[in-house]
Amino acid sequence: MVKKLITEDTKLFMTGNEVIAYAAIAAGAEFMYGYPITPQNEVMHTWCKLQPKTEAGFLQTEDEISAGFSTLGGILAGKKAFTATAGPGNVIMQDAMSMAEMMRIPFVCTVLQRGGPSTATVIYSQQETTLTCFGGNGEGYRIVYSTAGHQDLYDYTIKAFNTAWKYKFPTFVLADGYQGKMREPFIAYDPESRGIEMIPATPSLRGEGMVGVDRKAVHMRNTFNMEEELMEVLDSFEEDFNRIAPEIEEYQEYRADDADILIIAHGIVARSACTAIDELRAKGIKAGLFRPITLRPLPVEPLRKAVSRSKQILFAESANGQMARLILEKIYGLTTPYQTLYKMGVGITGGDIVEKVEQMDGAIACR
Amino acid sequence: MARTKIVLAGEGGHGVQSIAKILVEAGYAANKKVLYIPNFGVEQRGGVSIAFCQIADEEIGEPRFSKGDIVIMLSDRAIDRCSMYVDENSVVVYDSSICHNKPEVKAKETIGIPANQIANDEISARVFNIIILGVVIQATGVLEMDYVKDAMIAALGKKFESNPELREMNFKALEKGVELIKAKASV
Repeated sequence: MVKKLITEDTKLFMTGNEVIAYAAIAAGAEFMYGYPITPQNEVMHTWCKLQPKTEAGFLQTEDEISAGFSTLGGILAGKKAFTATAGPGNVIMQDAMSMAEMMRIPFVCTVLQRGGPSTATVIYSQQETTLTCFGGNGEGYRIVYSTAGHQDLYDYTIKAFNTAWKYKFPTFVLADGYQGKMREPFIAYDPESRGIEMIPATPSLRGEGMVGVDRKAVHMRNTFNMEEELMEVLDSFEEDFNRIAPEIEEYQEYRADDADILIIAHGIVARSACTAIDELRAKGIKAGLFRPITLRPLPVEPLRKAVSRSKQILFAESANGQMARLILEKIYGLTTPYQTLYKMGVGITGGDIVEKVEQMDGAIACR
Repeated sequence: MARTKIVLAGEGGHGVQSIAKILVEAGYAANKKVLYIPNFGVEQRGGVSIAFCQIADEEIGEPRFSKGDIVIMLSDRAIDRCSMYVDENSVVVYDSSICHNKPEVKAKETIGIPANQIANDEISARVFNIIILGVVIQATGVLEMDYVKDAMIAALGKKFESNPELREMNFKALEKGVELIKAKASV
């Protein structure tokens, strides 16, 4: 067992990467595997710096392929293990992440998005949305929380462990380089004090007792002989994923009830949207926000309702429509017109959104 | 003003991120809402290094902003990269001893300060960035100087202990930055 660092509510002022390490400890994570890549390095640094106090384990592997599979190994052995990565690291870790999907391993990973493709920038983007939701050679049986700041990072890193261990689907906290590197205050707490019971880790393989006598044999497969054999398993995954989706889906609305123009944004861009909405409302333009917190599974019903009652939609993201593609598929059949504000690998400010929405509003008035 | 938006831009190695950290730590200690994003490339030195800082009385929404209330430009490349953050409400400060050209921007005010030269001639090249910190504090009036001094001691205290001279140099540099704005030197 790792030793707790936070026993009572504590206001802290640190970078998001540090927040993630503190949250993982609060969640009872016992082991971190990782390979350095900006902008997530300080998750590892902080985890290691805290080791004398927490007595948690750490292994730096030779690359992200190894970091991903080592994390799986640690989890199979019964440790609450996790990893963190970004950019090209997220690309090459997909093999292990796919295995987590196939073998239903409660893999937890925080992703700090940087600019892409390839090395690109170490700074920021929302360009790992598709990759994190649907990377790998499979169907994307993953749960993805998109955070918008330090309180979110703390809350959802803790939640990710319970989601992963409860549902046995790989679970991701999708943040970005801004959140990783920026400093802002948040409240750290012991999950127990919030009535959150952390699910203990148990070994998937080599459990106690004799197979066939004390316990059933465990078969964890990622290899199949027959096509139909595979489909049978995947059909059951599909059924499980759809069944649990309503329990997992989360979203946030801001002044969306009577919005003529609905801004759809996730992560840190949603915060800029809130700043923009206050400014637009002050000018008499009824703007609102729909922010999917879970990108996998998407909160489809609330999303369709919000889209149906608005006159126009604006997709805003620091990518070329990666979130919008996920959403457009789910709002098929609705006829609300949409526009886009895409800045690939570049931050979106409140000012950017105000300008765009004013144009859209002007177009309505002219009709 | 409820929210002060600060852009600090220089060359990698200028110490822009170091003073941004001191600035926001001071803001946090003063019980303000603060948010700071560093922005730099893969290199340890060279390249433009930018710090986006916000100090506010209310919760901060957008992490990045379009225009700064004060935009500090410490190199020619920083001028090129950061002119986009300037509008008619911005105060621009550039280092006239490093930059070859005055920034061509429509700002509320553009102030040239030979901070690098002053650091070299009068104190030490090592405290160039602390002069700039003094400039920011005086030009924005966003924080009480005591909070800034405490944050500087918290950040550099260990270095001060091993080299007391450094402590004196840093405080002198901070004061120099304040004076430069008060005197609006070499506009």
